[in-house]
Amino acid sequence: MSRSQRDEIPSGTLDLLILKTLARHGELHGFEIADSIQSTSEDILQVEEGSLYPALQRMLLKGWLKGEWGKTQENRRARYYTLTSDGRKQLQNEMDRYGRVSNAIARVLEAAS
Amino acid sequence: MRELSRRLAFLFRRGRYAADLREEMHLHIELRARRFSEQGVADAEYAARRQFGNRTQYQDRSSEIWGWTVWERVVQDVRMGIRSLSKSPGFTAVAVLTLAIGLGMNTAVYSVVNAVMLRKLPYPHPEQLVSMWEQHPRTNTNFSSHGGGSFGWTQPKTGMLRTTVSVANIADYEGSGAFTAMASFDNNAMNLTGVGIPERVDGDLVSWRFFSVLGVTPVMGRDFRGGDDSPSAEPTVVLSYGFWQQRLGGDTNVLGQTVTLDGVKRRVIGVLPKSFQSPSEMADGTAREFFVPAAYPSDQVQQRGNHDVDVIARLRPDVPVRTAQGKLDVVQARLARQFPDTNKEMFPAIAPLGDDIVRSTSTALWCLLAASGLLVLITCVNVANLLLVRATGRTRELSVRLAVGASRSRLVRLFITESLLLAAGGCAAGIGMGLAITRGLLALAPTDIPRLESTSMDWTVFAFAAGIATLTGLVFGIAPAWHATRVQAVDSLKTSARTSAGRSQVRWLGSLTVAEVALSMVLLTGAGLLLRSFALVMNIDLGFQPDRVLALNINLPAARYKTADDRLRFFEALEPRVNALAGVRSVGYANRLPMRGSWRSGFTLEEPPQDQQVADFQAVSPGYFETLGMSLIRGRRFTAHDREGSPPVAMVNQAFARSYYKGGDPLGHGFLYANNRRVTIVGVVSDIRRGGKEADVLPEVYLAAGQTTLYPTRIADFAVRTAGDPSRVVNAVRQEVLALDKDQPITNVRTMREVIDLSVAERRFEVLLLAVFAAVAVALAVIGIYGVLSYSVAQRTGELGIRIALGAHPGGIVAMVMRQAGGLIAAGLAIGLGGALLLTRYLASLLFQMRSTDPLTYAICVGLLGAAAVAASMAPAVRSARVDPMVALRNE
Repeated sequence: MSRSQRDEIPSGTLDLLILKTLARHGELHGFEIADSIQSTSEDILQVEEGSLYPALQRMLLKGWLKGEWGKTQENRRARYYTLTSDGRKQLQNEMDRYGRVSNAIARVLEAAS
Repeated sequence: MRELSRRLAFLFRRGRYAADLREEMHLHIELRARRFSEQGVADAEYAARRQFGNRTQYQDRSSEIWGWTVWERVVQDVRMGIRSLSKSPGFTAVAVLTLAIGLGMNTAVYSVVNAVMLRKLPYPHPEQLVSMWEQHPRTNTNFSSHGGGSFGWTQPKTGMLRTTVSVANIADYEGSGAFTAMASFDNNAMNLTGVGIPERVDGDLVSWRFFSVLGVTPVMGRDFRGGDDSPSAEPTVVLSYGFWQQRLGGDTNVLGQTVTLDGVKRRVIGVLPKSFQSPSEMADGTAREFFVPAAYPSDQVQQRGNHDVDVIARLRPDVPVRTAQGKLDVVQARLARQFPDTNKEMFPAIAPLGDDIVRSTSTALWCLLAASGLLVLITCVNVANLLLVRATGRTRELSVRLAVGASRSRLVRLFITESLLLAAGGCAAGIGMGLAITRGLLALAPTDIPRLESTSMDWTVFAFAAGIATLTGLVFGIAPAWHATRVQAVDSLKTSARTSAGRSQVRWLGSLTVAEVALSMVLLTGAGLLLRSFALVMNIDLGFQPDRVLALNINLPAARYKTADDRLRFFEALEPRVNALAGVRSVGYANRLPMRGSWRSGFTLEEPPQDQQVADFQAVSPGYFETLGMSLIRGRRFTAHDREGSPPVAMVNQAFARSYYKGGDPLGHGFLYANNRRVTIVGVVSDIRRGGKEADVLPEVYLAAGQTTLYPTRIADFAVRTAGDPSRVVNAVRQEVLALDKDQPITNVRTMREVIDLSVAERRFEVLLLAVFAAVAVALAVIGIYGVLSYSVAQRTGELGIRIALGAHPGGIVAMVMRQAGGLIAAGLAIGLGGALLLTRYLASLLFQMRSTDPLTYAICVGLLGAAAVAASMAPAVRSARVDPMVALRNE
């Protein structure tokens, strides 16, 4: 695995990635979320993994996520996060916004070249 | 909303939340480490930690998200503050108590001021309501007026004499276009019969628009309508809620029933809301229980020279007072041309109703509020003193804190938290004390202060107290904090704690002491001036002997006693009956006894240049002068032969003789008054101060009560001079009255002494309050000086020890400390003297026959405060000379 290829997650998109990951997998604990983002991005997107947790707390506060304690396969206690209906709405909003912004950026870049 | 409940859930279970998060992170790192070791990464544990980042930081950032961080820090600060304050309970108690005294007095006075002057009148759109009166230069004569709330008040600004309004002028003023409506009213107590024992009840005689001007509608029945006030209309009455509840038992069928007032059956057409107070009730504190429509007789409506009624009006919404006054002036100019005799020098004037109601007390109350404000300042200075002394004593503690890494801002926050805590404690204690003091104030206050009875601690009072307390905490917490935290950790740790009182701290303490002395000086001077005025007032000779004289009021209703002769006969029948009672020396009756109202009229001397003048008129019985203890100077008294049909006679006082006969003999001369009635002067009596101790001696005319056509005002006051305690004959007199007329109550029963005491009650109240303020201020200043000097002596123990060891004489040491104290005290007195000269001028209108710069008062105050301050400095000074050099040096 080549560490030099890794990039920081653009600011403001961490929420989107967490929401999308949970939407895809349903129920994950913190490590699984981080792991999933990393592997799905084929190891390109790299977070300082701790930064995941303030983000999760904020989303709990907003009511986008629900956290429930359960057991891992190895019988360890872990908090499993799921999307709430508000979370699903928020995901849609963030996706739309992301689409608009990245389209706009792409258009600017194309025009410049 | 749901977000808030989640936040709260976090707040109450934040330990649990933090533990959960820790466990989660721990698991994460563990799983990552296992993954790394599976991938063959060397030192997987370390790599996992690095990949994760700073765990503590993420934990903090997570809990910040819940939004309670600031709060938690505050809680922490408060806990620390409480811990540190409770370590020095003496300091805390003194500081809180000092603040509580200052705030307590201030909130008490403020709550009175709030009730009396600041709270809006309880009517809709009170800002549109104005009070109206008429005023004239003192020389104007062509009028006659009596009674009324606005009678005889000299306008402070214009020097004009204020009088009640002439009913005939009202329609013209109403036509000025500045008002939506105007109404007249007049105090009118009446004898209530048929409901329990006969009783005299206070009410107002009002023109029919009275309630609609105020914007008040009855809770039951209806308001007056046009026509209700016509002399031929059926007599009606609107009752106060109190009358309905207490006298009629809240009978729900009250409408349509009749109530007998002054012998007239009046149909009840409405009951007013419970909260309703008429403006006259607010002004004099006497509850009005009924309102009857004013059926002014046609001669009154036509006589522009008769001034009898008070007037309220509602301004048009878009018309300010000044504009309305302008429009009234235009009307006046027209009336002056049309009716030069009566209106040339009679000017209508208006003022906001709220201001007008409190006009006689507002200066005094503002002064008291200002005084209590000064007191708060003094307590603040005192607390600042304490805080500063305490801060200096903590230099070492602070150095240690700084050395172990506390930031300066954190220490400043600690200080401010502590002083805010003190302020909060002081505020709470102060409000408690304020409640108690307010109760005391209300008990002591004269009852005629307008709206006083509505005094209560409402939220504005609490907000006021809390605001002042917070300000105190901030302002007086910051200074010590700033000073204390300027310490250099290393320097001050190196030196001994004893010597670390910086020069600047001593200078600060010094200037606070100066400020305290100065502020106390201002308060003391104010109190001194009022006290001297009070003494001067009390020493004034009224000119008659008020001791052992009983005054009472017998208002004979016009329905039963139709003519002036009927009324005279009643009094003539009563006189010998009362005279025959055991313990009665003599009896007199009159329209009004001294200090119980007056009747003023213009008159014209017969001799050239036939000047028109104004004098007080009274109709009195032959026994009046003896009963009040006035002496005859020349001529003769009235006798039983001065009756209707005999030549009209008058007696005058010395002032009258002096003013109009220039030392000549007035006997045998005559004058014309009112509607050209002529009287001949037959006697001169000694001067009295008819209006009370603070009134001037005015020219007085006495008419014979037996000559009933000479005077319009009814005989109503009865005076009894007794051998012993006058209050003991009250019941016997009442029995005699009832024997003559079983429906006739006697009212307003007071000894003349009580009447006089009541007349100075307000002055006594002001003096008392200001004296208490001044006493507290001086006490605080003395404590402050003592504290600061003790502290500075303690700080200089080492230096003093060396001086003594080197052979300084103890007397020299005492002198040195006293010089320091003397300097502060002198500076304080000097500044205070300047402040007093500047500020006491606002007291001028409350002073009696003295100026606000009265040198004697100033000298006494400087002497008193100086002596107290010097005495306070003696103890620390003497202590300084007793410093044991060995002990002092060992401490170094």
